Amino acid sequence: MLSRLYSALRRLFRRQAAESELDAEVQAYYQILVDRYVEAGHRPDEARRLASLRCGHPEAVKEAVRDVWAGAMLAAVLRDIRYALRTIRKAPMYAVVTVLMLGIGIGANVTVFSIVDRFVLGHPPVADPSALMMLHTTRDGHCCGRFSWPTYADVRDRARSFAGVAAYYELLPAAIGGYGDPERVWGQAVTANYFDVARLAMFVGRGFTPAEEHLPVVVISHRLWTRRFGADPSIVGRAIPLSGRPYTVVGVAPEGFRGVDVILDAQYWVTLDNLSHLEPRTDNRRSRDYQWLAAVGRLAPGTSRRQAEAELKLVGALIARQYPASTPAADRDSGFVMEVAGSLPPRQRAAVIAFLASLSAVSLMVLAIACVNVTNLSLARAAVRRREMAMRVALGASRGPLLRQMLTESILLSFGGGLLGVFASHWAARALSVFHMAAPVPLDTSIAVSGSVLPFAFLLSAGAGLLFGLAPAWAASRPDIAAALKGEELLTRTGHWWGLRNILVAAEVAMSTVLLCATGLFLRSLSNAAHIDTGFRSGGVLMMSVDPRLHGYSPERSVELLRAVRERVASVPGVQSVAWTDAAPLSGGHRSDGFDVVGKPGGGARIVDLFMATPGYFETLGIPLLAGRAFENDSASSARVAVVNQYFATHFFPNEEPIGQRVRDGDRVYQIVGVVRDTKSRTIGEEQRAILFRALEQDIAADPSGSGYTLMIRVAADPVSVASAAQSAVHAIDPALAVFGVATMEQHMTDALFLPRLAGTLFGVFGLLGLTLAGIGLYSIIDYWVSRRRREIGIRVAIGARPGAVQALILRQGMTLAAAGIAPGIAAAWALSRLLTSFLYGVAPNDAATFGAISVFLLVVTFVACWIPSRRAAAVDPSLTLRCD
Amino acid sequence: MANPSDLLPGTLDLLILRTLELKPMHGVVIADRIEQATEGVFVIGPGSLFPALHRLADKGWIDGQWIVVPESGRRVKQYTLTQAGQARLAEEKRNWKTVLTAMNLALAEEL
Repeated sequence: MLSRLYSALRRLFRRQAAESELDAEVQAYYQILVDRYVEAGHRPDEARRLASLRCGHPEAVKEAVRDVWAGAMLAAVLRDIRYALRTIRKAPMYAVVTVLMLGIGIGANVTVFSIVDRFVLGHPPVADPSALMMLHTTRDGHCCGRFSWPTYADVRDRARSFAGVAAYYELLPAAIGGYGDPERVWGQAVTANYFDVARLAMFVGRGFTPAEEHLPVVVISHRLWTRRFGADPSIVGRAIPLSGRPYTVVGVAPEGFRGVDVILDAQYWVTLDNLSHLEPRTDNRRSRDYQWLAAVGRLAPGTSRRQAEAELKLVGALIARQYPASTPAADRDSGFVMEVAGSLPPRQRAAVIAFLASLSAVSLMVLAIACVNVTNLSLARAAVRRREMAMRVALGASRGPLLRQMLTESILLSFGGGLLGVFASHWAARALSVFHMAAPVPLDTSIAVSGSVLPFAFLLSAGAGLLFGLAPAWAASRPDIAAALKGEELLTRTGHWWGLRNILVAAEVAMSTVLLCATGLFLRSLSNAAHIDTGFRSGGVLMMSVDPRLHGYSPERSVELLRAVRERVASVPGVQSVAWTDAAPLSGGHRSDGFDVVGKPGGGARIVDLFMATPGYFETLGIPLLAGRAFENDSASSARVAVVNQYFATHFFPNEEPIGQRVRDGDRVYQIVGVVRDTKSRTIGEEQRAILFRALEQDIAADPSGSGYTLMIRVAADPVSVASAAQSAVHAIDPALAVFGVATMEQHMTDALFLPRLAGTLFGVFGLLGLTLAGIGLYSIIDYWVSRRRREIGIRVAIGARPGAVQALILRQGMTLAAAGIAPGIAAAWALSRLLTSFLYGVAPNDAATFGAISVFLLVVTFVACWIPSRRAAAVDPSLTLRCD
Repeated sequence: MANPSDLLPGTLDLLILRTLELKPMHGVVIADRIEQATEGVFVIGPGSLFPALHRLADKGWIDGQWIVVPESGRRVKQYTLTQAGQARLAEEKRNWKTVLTAMNLALAEEL
């Protein structure tokens, strides 16, 4: 039977040789028949004809033989699997533990791969996504700027490398009405060829026709369609109100399409001309100096990226020559940059990739630790099974099939682990999707385990199975027959595999040390971030936003509306104070501009973050006023005033009194009337920034917010309790007004901690898994030592060793092993932690306290892992152990 | 009759093993011998012979070796009965006798 397996295996690897051999065999048969007919007196061609007649077609003969081979192969594989299943059934605990550990390791990796797949490898769901290119302009040689309309038109008309180039305005809020409560949704304004360039197959209806460039037509996302319109296919052709004007729905985008960008979350698309209605602006959108469009191009068939890049360079040079005023000199050679649509935004790419790379490294380490554990387990099992193996080798089994059988078993187990891992990661991805990033624009950071991870999980499982199966299978398939049959302790005696197991355990302790150091750093970072003084009191504040512009409000009417809402909400029972702003702090950056001091030329403009505020703002957020006054009745008709933060005051006016000074943003001049304490502006981890608060009513006309206005409500009790009262207050004034972003400031703070929380959670989970696995690994090897050395321990005790001394001996050896892992682990972590610098808040990557604490913690855990089996050693009764062998 | 296994499965294997019991031989000779021994009842074409030979080789009952036929100088694959094959043949013979006896009894009873 074994030689059959072996020949089947050999044939698999030597298919080519077997084929030519078969061919020769069939040929020889035919030739001999020909020879016979010739001998019998036939002419050679007649002889060949007769021989062919008797032989049949040689291919048919060979095919019949191949069927026999395939049957034998399949039978051999099935036999291996049956054999493996039988051995697995005989040791169910081993199988369960193996599948569990590998499941954890593979699950961790599949989860991380899902994240990588989502943000790095993913494409928008369009046809032939690899030929869809995002185009960026460069400025002073730096990537990545937007296009002006004329530059876009130049590229579209001149670049022949593209089958089509579309442009779109990325973020366009609109109030969507009808069919239930009005709500604010984000969409995009696109050129009519956008869906043709993207080659997006619509779920229902169609994309835009060229004639619709000027018509009020809209394509809605699948999500909006199901959520708001009940997935009604007859929506196509009907009109829905967008910011107060009817738009005819022409199509529903397919599920999962959110635009060609990787994280922006657009829910509707209108043609570009509708911008004059949806976002009226004074800016000249046709000017060559106003860059506001994103562009995406579809490579013409047969055109390479390189050709397209070369042509873009030419087009760029041409434009630069033609319009020197709008193109800085440094641009002339660079022109445009392009990348496959769905790539990460270039500015964030490096950081995201570094983060995902360290995450991948960490999850691979968890898998490696799991593999080491399983290897050790199966090495122990190989030691137990070596008598069976020796018997089979003695009976003439060759090593090849034995190895293959054992590998079949380990691969089977690892596929079990892979299956478990995919299920676990499915759950993990859903858990991770609850993390939201605080940002003023709609971002989709949800993660799902898609079918694309299956090949990855498959490869990982096969790799893990080979990795943990090979060494034990090798060891077991070459036993020292004589010794094994006599029952001697081959594996412990030669010391060879014994040594390997120790190295493996030390390695896994080292890896879990690295993991835990990373975990420790991220947890400290999270705790630091959560305790950073933001400068305002977030507790007890409810936020709620409206965007009057989406409902056709003029600036004057907006002011009236906001005032009326403020008064009405202020009278809601339990409300202490109310104020409007244009964006809540810690929203990831809203508006900022360059400022200089009036009367002090030459200082140069410095970037200042801008927030709009109404009376009651500082009181509501609990920001102390340090000097001067807060906003009072500063209306559009009075001179512009501003309140600045301390940082602004000391940096613009180091040795002067800031109150009464005048600062300038372009042609707008503000007189500083107050100074408040510093608060965080964009993100929690940022260095302090200069902030200027301006009176909302004074700037709402000249510089309206693009994303609406947020009402901040300070409540004595639970802020959620006034949410519905506050919304009714808005709707009592204008029932058509879309209210959005209703959340407590606490929830907003949680979102603002997105990155440290995500990192802390992922690294925390991985660190804990790694530690648990390594602890189990250490425990099981010490336990194995003790069980293998019962006889030795028995003798020691019999000749007078005290149990305490025996226990100390085991502990000493175990802790030596642990230390042999911890020390290099700390060193490696120390060297690697530098890579994490940019993700840590307020903790140095080589923070001695973290490393020290982790070392002590690990020593304690490893001590416990050694102590439990060492007690067993101390309890050895020599009269029993010495007799039983 | 083209293929004895069409009549009774496994018959061809038994015939091949039995033929090779005499001496090692290659495909054409095996087919000739079976045809002679059964007095022309079983004529085996290569489409049946080769799969059977490979199946038997696969099970380790026969073993193929390339040799040169002295008369014609042609290289052919010559099959030899292995030890396992001999054991198998003995078992198959016993089985066959049992089947034969049983069938004769059954058919005689009916007659």
